[in-house]
Amino acid sequence: MQARQTYGAIGIKAAVLLIGGLLLFAPFLFQDVRALEVAARICVFIVLVASYDLLIGYTGIVSFAHTMFFGFGAYGAAILLRLMGPGWDAVILGGLLGVVASLIVATAVGLLSLRVKAIFFAMITLATASVVLVLASQLSQFTGGEDGITYRVPDLFKPATKLLLDDNGKVVKWFGVSLNGKIAAYYFVFFTSLALFIAMLKVVAAPLGTVLKAIRENEARAEAIGYRVVAYRTFVFCLSAAVASLAGTVYAVWLKYTGPDTVLSFAIMIDILLMVVIGGMGTMWGAVIGTVLMVLAQYYLRDLMGAASEAVSSLPLLPDLLNPDRWLLWLGLIFILLVYFFPRGITGTLMQKGSRQ
Amino acid sequence: MTEPSLVTRDLTIRFGGHVAVNKVSCAFRPGELTVIVGPNGAGKTTYFNLISGQLAASGGQVLKDGVDLTRLGPSARAHHGIGRAFQLTNLFPRLSVLENIRLAVQVRSGNGWRMFRAAHRFRELTASAERYLEATRLAKVAHLPAAALPHGDQRKLEVALLMAMEPDIYMFDEPTAGMSLDHAPDVLELIAAIKNDARKTVLLVEHKMEVVRQLADRIVVLHNGEMLADGPPDQVMASQIVRDVYLGTATGETA
Repeated sequence: MQARQTYGAIGIKAAVLLIGGLLLFAPFLFQDVRALEVAARICVFIVLVASYDLLIGYTGIVSFAHTMFFGFGAYGAAILLRLMGPGWDAVILGGLLGVVASLIVATAVGLLSLRVKAIFFAMITLATASVVLVLASQLSQFTGGEDGITYRVPDLFKPATKLLLDDNGKVVKWFGVSLNGKIAAYYFVFFTSLALFIAMLKVVAAPLGTVLKAIRENEARAEAIGYRVVAYRTFVFCLSAAVASLAGTVYAVWLKYTGPDTVLSFAIMIDILLMVVIGGMGTMWGAVIGTVLMVLAQYYLRDLMGAASEAVSSLPLLPDLLNPDRWLLWLGLIFILLVYFFPRGITGTLMQKGSRQ
Repeated sequence: MTEPSLVTRDLTIRFGGHVAVNKVSCAFRPGELTVIVGPNGAGKTTYFNLISGQLAASGGQVLKDGVDLTRLGPSARAHHGIGRAFQLTNLFPRLSVLENIRLAVQVRSGNGWRMFRAAHRFRELTASAERYLEATRLAKVAHLPAAALPHGDQRKLEVALLMAMEPDIYMFDEPTAGMSLDHAPDVLELIAAIKNDARKTVLLVEHKMEVVRQLADRIVVLHNGEMLADGPPDQVMASQIVRDVYLGTATGETA
């Protein structure tokens, strides 16, 4: 006697499947460097945003320290790749160190402050994240300071690596795409992200997920029927920190560069927040939709506006308004409209439409 | 006489200078339904909060089967078999009715931490939750969010949630508050069924006198945070002191 899904929910899931398919075949469908860059960023950010949604959307915990955990994973891998050279051992050990650091900090912050009111908790995470950001820029002998760290990654991911050779010893091409290390790197990003995303889907569908939602809905009653709310909150804070950290490690391997601007800055924290809000809190699908829209807007809105500005160049005023330099203004306007018309995010609002009773 | 299952000993709470519950000592036994009455502000709900752990006592003790629970939080007390329903409806509004109940079933079965198997595949939990929904006649609305139910059904869900906890001590705080006349009997029947189980102890805060007469084995009267009377219904109802409280002429009555 399962409740029937709404048409809206079916539509959203179909859209997510389509996005999954496009990402799976991205290297063959979009054959330019920038597009692959965008696809990889989408994969990593889906995981990052979904792990943040575990906190804010499922459990109702507001944290501003999510990029800190992302940074732990990225810097863990980056520092070890530079120290130990480009090997898998450095990636794995760095990833583990990032997770361990994330778990220690998350447990400490969680146990010390998840008992207090939400607003104080948010402030504490903000303070912790600020401290880490300052440390990252000051401890430049380890972190490279503001310049960050560049390093080489395992040989498998070098563009010169040939994954498949034909009879003449040349790299095999599929659909006009050379099967080189870049492809390997993209699929490393894709499949790691997919595995992490599926793990989170499992968690929210499991009994634990219901408990998290119960805490969001009515913390006092969850406690009254026997759930130790502080323990559950601390656990989900640690879980989401660990996932963010792993996403950071993957991103560090993909970018071959780690710095405050790519993994640690508050600008990224704001991006994550926007993606969660646009997509819709409390559904994993929302993380996918929000991330895709936001990353596409960040990369392509300027191009689109450039084209639009050209197209209306004969008209007064409009070309100025559509000048690519004003892309942030338009992004802001789009955001306001989205929040106005989709108060519960795109998925949250659409999934309620089209009931089939 | 059976051993008491729940004992409060000199239970007290102060809010600043105001003593909301003052040295209330009372023992409750399995198979007995005690109705706690008293005028508004007498400290009935505060007394409940002290027993179920929402408030920490300033003094005195709460004992369940001889175990001191005074320092424990609400979740630990729930595991010791103290179950509580609330006066103001206190559900998980955006979760389905079934999920509301399954939460109570699953914490009891120790499955709250399971994270890699879909909740709906824990069939025994769902089946168990469905039995409580049948018993409370909520099975038809199992998949609606709790917030979408009419008030009467929300009150029933509140009772179902308490039943699903399978506690030893059932505490009902005005279970029929705001219910229409045709719904109230359903809830009262459920409480009567629990009362007939000789292993269960029931505490009930209630204003409606016909409900009190119908269900009570014993009545405790609270007034200004103090226990004023305790005994069989006939005796308590007949006593002069209770009449005075309800007529507002007792000494110490303010406002």
